[in-house]
Amino acid sequence: MNIVSSPEEKRFRAECRDWLAANIPSERRPLDATDAVAFDKAWQRCLFDAGWAGINWPIAYGGRGLSLIEQVIWLEEYARAGAPWIGANFVGINHGGPTLILNASDEQKAYHLPRILKGEAIWCQGFSEPDAGSDLAGIRTSARIDGDMLVINGSKIWTSFAHVADWQELILRTEAGSRRHAGLSWVICDMNTPGIEVHPIRKMSGQFEFAQIFYDDVRIPLANAVGGIGNGWKVAMSTLNFERGTGFIADQVKLGLEVEALVSKARASGAIRDECIADQLAQSRAEVAALRAMTYRNVSEVARNGQPGAEASVIRLFTAELGQRLDRLGVLLAGQDILDFRYGDDTLVSDYLRGFAGTIAGGSSQIQRDIIGERILNLPKSR
Amino acid sequence: MDLIPSSDQKALVDATIDWCRDNLPLEQARSRPIGLWSELDAMGWLAMTTQDVGFDHASEVLVFAELGKSLAPVSMLSTAVAARWTGDRRKTALFFVDGNKMRALDVDQSERALGLFESRAVIAALPGGIEATPGLDLSAPLAVIDPALPFEPIDNPQAALHLQLLGAAFAVGCAEAARDMAAEYALVREQFGRPIGWFQALKHLCADMAVRCAMARSQLFYAACALDAGDSGVAFHLAAAKRLADQAALENGRGNIQVHGAVGITDAATPHLCLKRAHMLGFLAPPAMDILLGEAA
Repeated sequence: MNIVSSPEEKRFRAECRDWLAANIPSERRPLDATDAVAFDKAWQRCLFDAGWAGINWPIAYGGRGLSLIEQVIWLEEYARAGAPWIGANFVGINHGGPTLILNASDEQKAYHLPRILKGEAIWCQGFSEPDAGSDLAGIRTSARIDGDMLVINGSKIWTSFAHVADWQELILRTEAGSRRHAGLSWVICDMNTPGIEVHPIRKMSGQFEFAQIFYDDVRIPLANAVGGIGNGWKVAMSTLNFERGTGFIADQVKLGLEVEALVSKARASGAIRDECIADQLAQSRAEVAALRAMTYRNVSEVARNGQPGAEASVIRLFTAELGQRLDRLGVLLAGQDILDFRYGDDTLVSDYLRGFAGTIAGGSSQIQRDIIGERILNLPKSR
Repeated sequence: MDLIPSSDQKALVDATIDWCRDNLPLEQARSRPIGLWSELDAMGWLAMTTQDVGFDHASEVLVFAELGKSLAPVSMLSTAVAARWTGDRRKTALFFVDGNKMRALDVDQSERALGLFESRAVIAALPGGIEATPGLDLSAPLAVIDPALPFEPIDNPQAALHLQLLGAAFAVGCAEAARDMAAEYALVREQFGRPIGWFQALKHLCADMAVRCAMARSQLFYAACALDAGDSGVAFHLAAAKRLADQAALENGRGNIQVHGAVGITDAATPHLCLKRAHMLGFLAPPAMDILLGEAA
């Protein structure tokens, strides 16, 4: 065990750092949703042109084909440099794209992957439904096979970027009468297909960042199924292996920067003399350090054995909960100023309010604790 | 950068686990057999990092976390630190300063004790005939010495960091022992017709124990490597490791008792041994707030 970087790693880190310092846009990501998407696309294209998009994606589809360690270094430097949030490219880059890499046909990969990497195609996710949240296997939105077409009926909800997405990764019940994980299919859905209606939902932070989607006899080609009809659950689960615990590295570095900013702020205001505040800040700093150490452990595990340890699920849970504790501490330090918050503001209050999603989206903390109890401690399955 | 044990280190850990299972059962922590110390000494753990043996701190914490899981004698920590920084390998008791008093732990067969004073490692000569009796942590017979004995600093600031690191390793082991005990009990104890670990209230309590262990052990590894590498952030990383390890030991100690229910509050059961050990380790090289809040690591 050691924490010493190799000369190659140091060189790569310097390369990342230099490029980022010279190329990060000086303007902030716009608040307006349409402007924000244009900004996200332009930045993604800039990354692609310079060879920084898809560090660990296959070279054949426009990626760099580099190792996980290099991916980690890039993500760390990216966040440290204060580079823009990935924004509307989030689902394509972090979820849809990786799923396609692992499961799609050559034809599907050749069409979609370069478009995702270049920021030309925005993706959204269609997993959750009004009656299938934590219990995702309860999916009811269905697709009937009609010749070489799928005919979709039903509704998806909590879909981020739905209003701007070109494509959707959609899990459907393609076998009538099937139950739970069986009979599901993972399909690529063109969001411009007739019969799709997007109803934006406002968050308590004021933003319209997600939506409910209705499908009324929506016809998409059967050829858009990925990994074969009926294998949807397996395809969806495979994505987790691609990310291998690195999906939160940028978030973790950001948490580190947030803690430092809070410490500086508390020093400047004198709030740090409050023992309770000082203790929370000290705790947060220790936790950020431990989270980073744990991520390194996970990355080392993947480098050695090709797959993450069972503790990767701990990283996810802890990142989300620590993020919320920091947001809350920020609000505490801000005092009465938080009361001035108005819809449309982009402040620590909106971050605080949006941050509640961290322990809900993509598997609630309760589900994560079930997984930890069952997979790490071998306790009996409750579900 | 590599934060998982090498195959050699894994072999060392496995050998330690095997030895502890056969020779250092946790249940015996309330009263260890006479002669144990010479066996521990013979295993070479007390002088692993001395110059002629030459293991790194990363290997050392792997071993000490396993020993800590068995609630091994706490004087192993003070003896290992004394051996590394004074070259003297004799058994060295551990002491905590408390105002004008000192508390010496595990003084049997020790002519000296090691502790911290103003964040420096110090050594005190122990006079003969000190009376030690069982204290809160039954594994470490206690002598309250009032007024405190005189002590001399060890002439190397690394010694204090070393003690904090090994203390964190013992605390991580203690936290993991409580976690494993709780999970095991949650699987065999049945209520309402099922193992209690089926119920989310209990499962999540156990999951939180696993989370604390994973975080504390990760930071322990990082801190050990930082000490080996002479990293500039070593003081912070050690303080963070000790803080998280102490918390994990204490919170898991408490959680384990809750999982055990009424059995957990009996003397005959073992959960209280972990809790009491956790309280004791909390006084060993506690992390300083100014280091945790000091310059960014």
